[in-house]
Amino acid sequence: MASNAAVPFWRAAGMTYISYSNICANLVRNCLKEPFKAEALNREKVHFSISKWAGGKPEKPILRSDTPGV
Amino acid sequence: MAMAVFRREGRRLLPSIAARPIAAIRSPLSSDQEEGLLGVRSISTQVVRNRMKSVKNIQKITKAMKMVAASKLRAVQGRAENSRGLWQPFTALLGDNPSIDVKKSVVVTLSSDKGLCGGINSTVVKVSRALYKLNSGPEKDVKFVIVGEKAKAIMFRDSKNDISLSVTELNKNPLNYAQVSVLADDILKNVEFDALRIVYNKFHSVVAFLPTVATVLSPEIIEKESEVGGKLGELDSYEIEGGETKGEILQNLAEFQFSCVMFNAVLENACSEMGARMSAMDSSSRNAGEMLDRLTLTYNRTRQASITTELIEIISGASALEAAK
Repeated sequence: MASNAAVPFWRAAGMTYISYSNICANLVRNCLKEPFKAEALNREKVHFSISKWAGGKPEKPILRSDTPGV
Repeated sequence: MAMAVFRREGRRLLPSIAARPIAAIRSPLSSDQEEGLLGVRSISTQVVRNRMKSVKNIQKITKAMKMVAASKLRAVQGRAENSRGLWQPFTALLGDNPSIDVKKSVVVTLSSDKGLCGGINSTVVKVSRALYKLNSGPEKDVKFVIVGEKAKAIMFRDSKNDISLSVTELNKNPLNYAQVSVLADDILKNVEFDALRIVYNKFHSVVAFLPTVATVLSPEIIEKESEVGGKLGELDSYEIEGGETKGEILQNLAEFQFSCVMFNAVLENACSEMGARMSAMDSSSRNAGEMLDRLTLTYNRTRQASITTELIEIISGASALEAAK
């Protein structure tokens, strides 16, 4: 079931569409001038803690913080 | 939660009256410990005063919490209503299939991190468990992804073997799309799914929040369904621009749909949490006020009884002296 068209470069690199669009959004936000740039970059702050569960027990949680667009 | 504390306090008053031994030592007649003429026990005014003070403090705290929740609600409500426009085009394009029968479902349960917000977290967990029952069977698999501390605590008790991911501290920074999309990305990378069912409380008004399920299908299932026909069968009538195939586009769309639906769901859940907290704090302030009224009546009765007793003793002492003369 190989597709005829080439897979886009970001899909081949393992990114999902979501991370691709986040990186593009980050680039657009960085093009703004101050003070709008600071406000816009403020809207990109990420903070949550995620932990995988295996066999009914949570493993050590990973903290994802301030990594927009990744 | 505050209500249960009040009820326990109320019930504690009665045993304290009944349990004091009858052969009490004749303590000097201070306003603290008293016995009536017939051996009737009365509550000391000091105890009642203390209780009134603590109930009043609780009332002030709950009123403040209600106002904080109201202001936060105002801030989030506008954003939640605006974000509804993000997933509406997807539903128009792909349709909504809550009853679709798939092998692997993942139930994403959204809840709050903090408590004192009424019953919203337990309703969401109830719906998640019902979905689990609906979707499990031979060859069918259901896994949970839990967002929020409260649902984690409840689900840990009996469904812990089916949990695959849990997320906390999402509300620490103000909610934004970047955060939710990173979360969606994590879920997509870590969990295999045919259909994602997101369970959240949809915000209808300040007093009405209904648990809702939003379904997002994986691109393979969409392809399969589009061959069957129906709404998804019309996908072929759309023209595809650019050099991408239909499968490509479906994959991008499915991921983006998940991210948008999650964003809207998280915002609506936050609104519902604030609304539920407002009404919970409001009812507990009202209950505190009622309790304060009852305590004030008890306090006045006790105070008047002690004054009357003192007067009686003084007068009877004086009349005894008169008679002795």
